[in-house]
Formats: sequence, C-alpha cells, structure tokens
Amino acid sequence: MLFKIFLEQQWKENTRSSIWQRNLATNIFIGFFLLLMMGYLLMLGILIDPILRKIFPDDDPIIIFNGIIVYYLGFDVLVRYLMQSLPTFAIESYLHLPIRKRTMVHFVISKSVFHPLNFLPLLVFIPFALRSLAPAYSSLSTVAWVIAVIFLIFNNNFLATYLKRQLVSKPLITLLAGVVLIALAVIDHFGFIKLTAVSSAFFAALLKYPVLTALPVLLVLSSYSLNFFLLKSKLYPEEIIKRKSYHVQDIPRIKYLTSLGLTGDLVMLDMKLWWRHKRTRTMLYMFPIFILYGFMFYPMPQYHNEIGWLIFVGTFMTGGMTMNYLNYVFGYESNHFDGILTSRVDMDMYIKAKLSIGMLISTICFIITIPYLFFDLEILLINFVTYLFNLGFISYVLIYMATYNKKRMDLSKGSSFNYQGVGAANWLVLLPAFVLPILIYAPFGLMGYRYAGLAAIGFIGIIGLLTRKYWVKAIERNFYKRKYIMADGFREGG
Amino acid sequence: MLTINNLSKVYSGATVLDIKELFIGKGESFGLVGNNGAGKTTLFRLILDLIRPQTGYVLSKENNVSKSESWKYYTGSYLDRNFLIDFLTPEEYFEFNGRIHGMSAEDLKSFLSSMEDFFNEEVLGRKKFIRDLSKGNQQKIGVAAALMAEPEVIILDEPFNGLDPSSQIRLINMLNKLTKEKQTTMLISSHDLNHVTEVCNRIAILEKGIIVKDLKTSENTLRELQSYFSV
Repeated sequence: MLFKIFLEQQWKENTRSSIWQRNLATNIFIGFFLLLMMGYLLMLGILIDPILRKIFPDDDPIIIFNGIIVYYLGFDVLVRYLMQSLPTFAIESYLHLPIRKRTMVHFVISKSVFHPLNFLPLLVFIPFALRSLAPAYSSLSTVAWVIAVIFLIFNNNFLATYLKRQLVSKPLITLLAGVVLIALAVIDHFGFIKLTAVSSAFFAALLKYPVLTALPVLLVLSSYSLNFFLLKSKLYPEEIIKRKSYHVQDIPRIKYLTSLGLTGDLVMLDMKLWWRHKRTRTMLYMFPIFILYGFMFYPMPQYHNEIGWLIFVGTFMTGGMTMNYLNYVFGYESNHFDGILTSRVDMDMYIKAKLSIGMLISTICFIITIPYLFFDLEILLINFVTYLFNLGFISYVLIYMATYNKKRMDLSKGSSFNYQGVGAANWLVLLPAFVLPILIYAPFGLMGYRYAGLAAIGFIGIIGLLTRKYWVKAIERNFYKRKYIMADGFREGG
Repeated sequence: MLTINNLSKVYSGATVLDIKELFIGKGESFGLVGNNGAGKTTLFRLILDLIRPQTGYVLSKENNVSKSESWKYYTGSYLDRNFLIDFLTPEEYFEFNGRIHGMSAEDLKSFLSSMEDFFNEEVLGRKKFIRDLSKGNQQKIGVAAALMAEPEVIILDEPFNGLDPSSQIRLINMLNKLTKEKQTTMLISSHDLNHVTEVCNRIAILEKGIIVKDLKTSENTLRELQSYFSV
C-alpha cells in the first residue's frame, strides 16, 4: 500500500523532472537512439549462437557462452559501480510521518531494481536461451537458467549499490572488493584457475540440476540484506546523504585576462561556469575526444582521397567545441540572465566577448591539431580552411541561432544524454555547420579542382572575418529583439 | 528621475499592470506594497527592461530604458535569485561586480568592510559557493551587490525577505543613511508594512496592477496601510 504511494510519488518526481522537459525534436532523436541501441542488443542475442560457432568452430557455443557470463558479470559490477547512481529518495520529507523506517529502507533499496542495466542484458540472454538452450535442454532447465541469470544481474545491482554506499562510511570494504576483483582477473589471466571454466561448469550443472537456481537467489537475498542492515542502521538524513560540499577550487587569476578588461572578466566567468557545473564539466572531459577524432581516419591512407570526409573531420575537430559553446551560449547563463541584463555590461560588448571566446576555442583546437600534418600535409590545409570557415561563418550562425533557445538549462545534472534545455534550433543549426563546407567543396571536387574547392571554403571564412562588423550588428539587433523572450523563458522553472 | 507613462503589461489576456502616470523624483524613497500578484515585481522588471511593455514606456533621466542602456550605469538592483551568479563564491561575485563597475581593489575592500556588520561574518571567507549558502545569506549578497559603486537609483524587491531581525534593522539603517546622505532614489517593495514606513518617504499601494493609493509617509501612514489591508 505504502509502496504504491511511494512508487507513484517517485514516478511523478521523475516525470516532472526538468530533464524531460525538452523539445519534441530532441525527444524523437533520443527515442530513436534508444530504440536503435535496443535493436542492436536484440540482434546480438539472436545472432550470438552463429557468431560463436564461427569463431570457435570446434566448441559448443553453450559452453563458450556460459563461460563468458562470468566476465560479463565482473565487468557489469565495475560499470555499475562507476556509473549507476545510488537510488535516492527524499527521505526527509517522510521521516516525520507515521511510516515505519524499515518500509522506507525496503523502498529505497528495491527502487534500484528499475535501473535499465537490469533489463537491457535480458535482450541478449533471453533470445540466446530460446534459440540455443531450449532445443537442447528441458524447458525447466531453460527457465532455471534464465532465472539464475536474472538473479545474478540483480545480485550485481545490490552488490554495486552496497559497495557504493560503503564508500562513504567504510571505504576499506570497497577497496577490498576492488582487490578481490583484480585478484580474480589476475588468477584468470595467468591461468591458475580459469574463471571461464568455473562459469561454464556452474551453468552446466545448473542446466542439469535446475534446483541450483536457489544459489543465485540466496546471493540476492544476502546482498539485499547487506544493503538493508546498512541503511537501517543509519537512517538519519545527514548520514545517508553525502552532502556534496564542493571544495572551492581557486582558479588562478590570469594576468593576461585581467588586462583585457571586461572581455577578460567574462572569459574568467565562463571558465568558472564550465568548471563548476557537472554538465559543463563532463563536456570539458570530451575535449580530448574532439581533438583525437582525427586518429580514427588519418592513419588509414584510403581516407586521404576522400576530401569530403576529411572536411567533415576538420570541421568537427576545429569547430566541435565551439559549437558546444556558442550553440547554448545564453542558455548556459539562464540561471543568472536577469543579473547579466541589468548589470553594467554593455550588451554589444557582451556579445562580442562571447563571440571572441568561441573563436578562441576554435583557434586552440586548430593549433592542437596542427601535428596531424605528419600524416599528410594536405590535412593541415583542410583543417586550416575549415577553421577559417568556423571563424568567419559558423560562429556567427551559431550565436545568432542561440537566441532562439529560451529553455532554462539545469547545469547541475550530468551531460551524457542530458538534452534538457536543448531546443530544435540547436539541432537545426548543426546541419549547415557540417553540410555547407562539403557542399561548397563538392562542385570543385567533382570537376577535379580540389585546391580550388578548399580555397573556396577558406575564402568564405576570410570574407566573413573581414565583414565581421556587419554580422555582429545583425547578431546584436536580433539579440535585442529576442532578449525579453529569452529572459522570460529562462525565468520559468527557476 | 523616473517617469512612467501609460505603462501596461498583459499576460495571456489579463492585464497585470496598468499605470497611467507616475513620477519618482530624485532622492525619493518610493515604497510599493500590495498583495501577491498585485504587479510589484512586474513593475520592477519593466523599469529594469527585463520584460517588454504592452503600451507605454519608462524614462530614466529622460532616456527610455528599453532604447538606451545608460540607466545601467547608475542603477543598482536586486529582484530575485536570477540576479546571482551562484557558482561563484561571494568574494568572486563582488570582485566581478566591482570590476564591471570599474572599482579599484581599494574601493572594493572599503565597500566590503562597510558591509561587514550586515554580513555578520556569515558571507565572506566561508569558502562556499553562493549556491550552497542559505537563502538569507544569498539575499544579503544580492542586496549588497545592488548597493555597490554608489548607484543613484536602487531597486529592491522584498529586500527584507529571509533576513534575520538584526539584519533587517541593519538594512533599514543602511537604506535610510543612503537617502539622507547621498539622496539616492529608491524603489522598494515589501510585505512588511512596518519596514516600508520606516524606509520610504512615499508609499504606493498596488492592487491588481493599478496604483490605488499614493501616500506621503506621515505618522498616520502605518495605520492607514494596516486598515487598508485588514480584511
């Protein structure tokens, strides 16, 4: 009864969370992406039998698969430990009500059962069981096998949450678990005991004696109890919730920036903003990915003649971070936008500063990617023209379109798959950014004038840079028109 | 100092503010009282050019606030948390504002020391971001930032909200001192009738977007206000 109410309230909390309040286009994109991922998993589940037959033609795929499960479980614990967030439940709002503490603890723990990591693997396991196990064994054995796997996954779930909870109070236990995991990996690697053999043996026995399913069930019961007693013993909010008191990092004042006046101050402010919010910080961690992207293509000579593709790579490396920045440049400030609008900052200075920061990021990216010239001198040329195009064209379009985003951005939540506060305009603008340089190049490239094509891209960039004044004016005019609408949107949900 | 002419704001068909004419002179401290939804914040936002009026305009020193940005250079304001850059520490926030105002390090230091009593050792030197401070301390930071660099006009929305009694009294004294010594023009809204009468020499009652009363503060003002709002 109480559980149902709790569940309902949790459902409301989640569905009403700001993360979901995003644009329709974004939701369609994410939905499509999720379906695609699930489709891949399902396909893997259906095809795993023939795949294993092909790789290990002499072995029984069932034995191989049963052996791999142990690796999956070990990896799963690790991933969960690192990625799965502890189920939180605003206990404070219930503690003063006549509700038994144990009910709340049961609820907090069992809530984690709804994590996607508990269900997605079944897209692989169940098709495998139906295709490979069902014909070879009795249906009872097959069902027992599936149940055993499900419970082992749940055991992982509770084990990982337990270890994560202990990290706060008894880090030694967590450390110990890590040592055990590493020791097992070492033992396996040097072949003292083959974990795969143990795993195969266990599941083979299970298929023979379905009663053995009781073992994983017992495991779940014990890992659940571990969580239960841990939480029960400390149900005071201050002990459960790790109050995140961020250590204030002093970001060193950069002399050069201070000498730039207002622009420098705004740069400093942006650096602090990016470093001190979870969402933007995860984006910063992506910086190396943008820069290293070239390594996926440049080492392979067959790409060196695919100029269109190389232009895409160049745009991505020299402009990707700038796009992340300028595309949401006002959205990032949605939490204090009123403050900016009423402060003594000249709005045209403000816009120019933002544009300069975007260009600076592009410049840094370009400089870092210069060493790619060792693969091919032409790469440098391509990256240079795409860099110019980024500066003289794309950055204007991005900041112009950024004014059409009027959703408050919640920066405290992580960034992977967090599209809260992202609007259709943010997606649309990426299209010209990536497609246009290739379209400009295409006619020249088709006629065989590859350098003329590259020069055309760079030329447009230079023209854009030379006529900067004009574009900045246009951006400003648009900003003044849109600022009330933006400020109004940002205020909502604040 | 401020001239409001035929100013109105409509939200989805409902008029939330409609002021035919209002003039606030230099050195006047203008209090705004009214129940929730009376349009106090809307008026302040219009004066600060944060929302676009349906009709009319606001002039600050003869300049339309939505056309020229000159008012920003002599107007200090704090309406709500959207004004705070909450991922900064209070020190960083004041430093940032100080630099925008063109204050020297010395100016900033003397400003912060003038706020020492008001902050009561709970704001500075705590090594915390503004977002991790209590509501009351956030309020103090916002109000203090509005007073930086000796603005000629100060606009505060519910400045006493969330402040402890001592801080409320300190704020009242600070504001009174500014009116007396610097002839600062002030616009202050509050739900606390006592506070407004203590700070403001002119008080207007706003009801459903219309100024229904415009009083010069005297001994009887408090009683008059109380009888107006008593149900």
